[in-house]
Amino acid sequence: MDALGSLQYLATGFGVATTSENLFYCLAGAIVGTLVGVLPGLGPIAGIALLIPATFNLNATSAIIMLAGIYYGAMYGGSTTSILLNVPGETASVMTCIDGYQMAKKGRAGPALAICAIGSFVAGGLAILGLVFLAPPLAEAALAFGPPEFFSLMVFGFVVLSNVTGGSLIKSLMMAVVGLIIGTIGLDPVSGNPRFTFGYVSLLGGIEFVAVAIGLFGIGEVLMNAEQPVEILEQRVLVPRLRDLYPSLRDLKQSVGAILRGTGIGFGVGLVPGPAPVIATYASYMVEKRISDHPETFGHGAIEGVAGPESANNAACQAAFIPLFVLGIPFAPPTAILLGALLIHGVNPGPAMIAEHPQLFWGVVASMYIGNVILLLLNLPFVPLFANILRIPKKVLLPLVMLFCLTGMYSVNNFMLDLWVMLGCGALGYLMRKWAYEGAPLLLALVLGPKLEVAFRQSLMISHGGFGIFVERPVSLVFLVATLGFLLLPLLRYTVRSLGHRAAAV
Amino acid sequence: MIPALLLLLFGAVTAGLSFQIRVGTLRAPGPGFFPFYLGLLLILLAGIHLAQSWRWRSDLPDDSADAAPHGSWQRVLLFLVATVLSTGSLTVVGYPLAAFVLMALLLYVLGVRRWAHVVVIAVCAAGASYALFVRWLQIPLPTGRFGL
Repeated sequence: MDALGSLQYLATGFGVATTSENLFYCLAGAIVGTLVGVLPGLGPIAGIALLIPATFNLNATSAIIMLAGIYYGAMYGGSTTSILLNVPGETASVMTCIDGYQMAKKGRAGPALAICAIGSFVAGGLAILGLVFLAPPLAEAALAFGPPEFFSLMVFGFVVLSNVTGGSLIKSLMMAVVGLIIGTIGLDPVSGNPRFTFGYVSLLGGIEFVAVAIGLFGIGEVLMNAEQPVEILEQRVLVPRLRDLYPSLRDLKQSVGAILRGTGIGFGVGLVPGPAPVIATYASYMVEKRISDHPETFGHGAIEGVAGPESANNAACQAAFIPLFVLGIPFAPPTAILLGALLIHGVNPGPAMIAEHPQLFWGVVASMYIGNVILLLLNLPFVPLFANILRIPKKVLLPLVMLFCLTGMYSVNNFMLDLWVMLGCGALGYLMRKWAYEGAPLLLALVLGPKLEVAFRQSLMISHGGFGIFVERPVSLVFLVATLGFLLLPLLRYTVRSLGHRAAAV
Repeated sequence: MIPALLLLLFGAVTAGLSFQIRVGTLRAPGPGFFPFYLGLLLILLAGIHLAQSWRWRSDLPDDSADAAPHGSWQRVLLFLVATVLSTGSLTVVGYPLAAFVLMALLLYVLGVRRWAHVVVIAVCAAGASYALFVRWLQIPLPTGRFGL
């Protein structure tokens, strides 16, 4: 598909996205996303999972428009609490706290919030443009992928995700394997035999991934919060008054470069597996500090330190849709949940999706533009309103979140079993946080497990049982070599360091 | 140490159970094939992790200790028990009552001690969620023995 064709399709996408129904769901997604971003303890993952039941009666396009809105909306909302209260609403806003809160302390909360919204808007817009022009040709290239290529690509995704989530590589790999094992519960996708169901009919369909997602990421977080000292639970937040909201011309001039660089970094990082928005914000902050003429202002309220990372996390979040839509392989937990939602609605994302469901793909892409405009309008004048939600003390907020999780989960399948799975995963999520195990690889593995198994067994069938097929096909070989590289990287680092120690000792 | 041992056990149980549902061969993999080798892989990874933490137990900082500040785990336990109790009561007493019980218990556990506050917040939350989910969204939540 050429660039002109993409633009024509985008125009039809706008036709889909601007129906009153889809506009409403785009707005709803943006509002819920902002809320989820503002509230610490509820991240985009739990937010999307909780809202999946609400989309059951919608068509697939409206459903994904709303759920995608929650994801990028959370990136806008997360900056609000970082700047006003030094509390990141979600992990991608941690870097914004550093200079954003300093700006707020100097009475410049307004310009900080405004530059966040503007940066996010510009970055979001440019990144969607990348999606428009890159996704269709990439999908055409990926059509040539067979089971061995998909298998190797998924293995690569797991290892990279496990390597970059910050914790220990081996712990993350173990979590991925646990997720894959849980994913095998239910009917064998190839032969149709039941596995690990222990005679329970309700387990035939497998473990409900929404239950695992809300458990690990929603309830696990609630339990971590419940542990805090009573003073924190009772704390009411003081929301500062916003005197002037609009940034000066000087602010804008200082931020332009940071916003554009942040967009580039975010888009690049978003294409590779991993918690892209988090890494992108970190990389952007470091770059801004390195190239700044006055690096000493960083940490004391430098506007570039707010503009760069906030643009980067939005660009990364939009770019992360490319692997999801083009390959059908999510590289990060929020897009993994979106994959689950697509499957629930009978859409199987992959290289053929853009051609098979043009309405859905182009409608969702166009809705992202509309969503970004809505978020800009929401976030500038209504910031004080959203910040006021934080005045609810945690001791009241946590029970409410719990009630919402339980009710929302039940409404997915009307199964009591799902509630117990969710609570079990909540306890597990709490313990994993205590023991420093990452939840993201587990969730991703659970969603991708069946696809991985099918690809693996189909490859073996093609090759009549020979493993050679994975290294004989060039694309598959490239992914496997890259995987090996990522696995050996920590070992190499360790060897170099110990050699260095030895050299220093001599 | 404890989590790695648990994971080792989980891997062993998985491999054992998969063996019973036919592993098959490379040429003709059975339903137990994939989980069996995943179980073995988990045993291997957990074994490496155990060996690592055993070998470097002195010079590796214990990352699980500073991952989260220590707080009141007893409150977390109470919080979970209260949730389990009210979830279990769902099919018996019906959604609105169970929602009220859940809110009241959790508020109490988190330190809301004035009875009037507990009751008012719990009634409002249960009532609002009942109106939203049952009346408006028409979700068939359990009605319990009293048919609420």
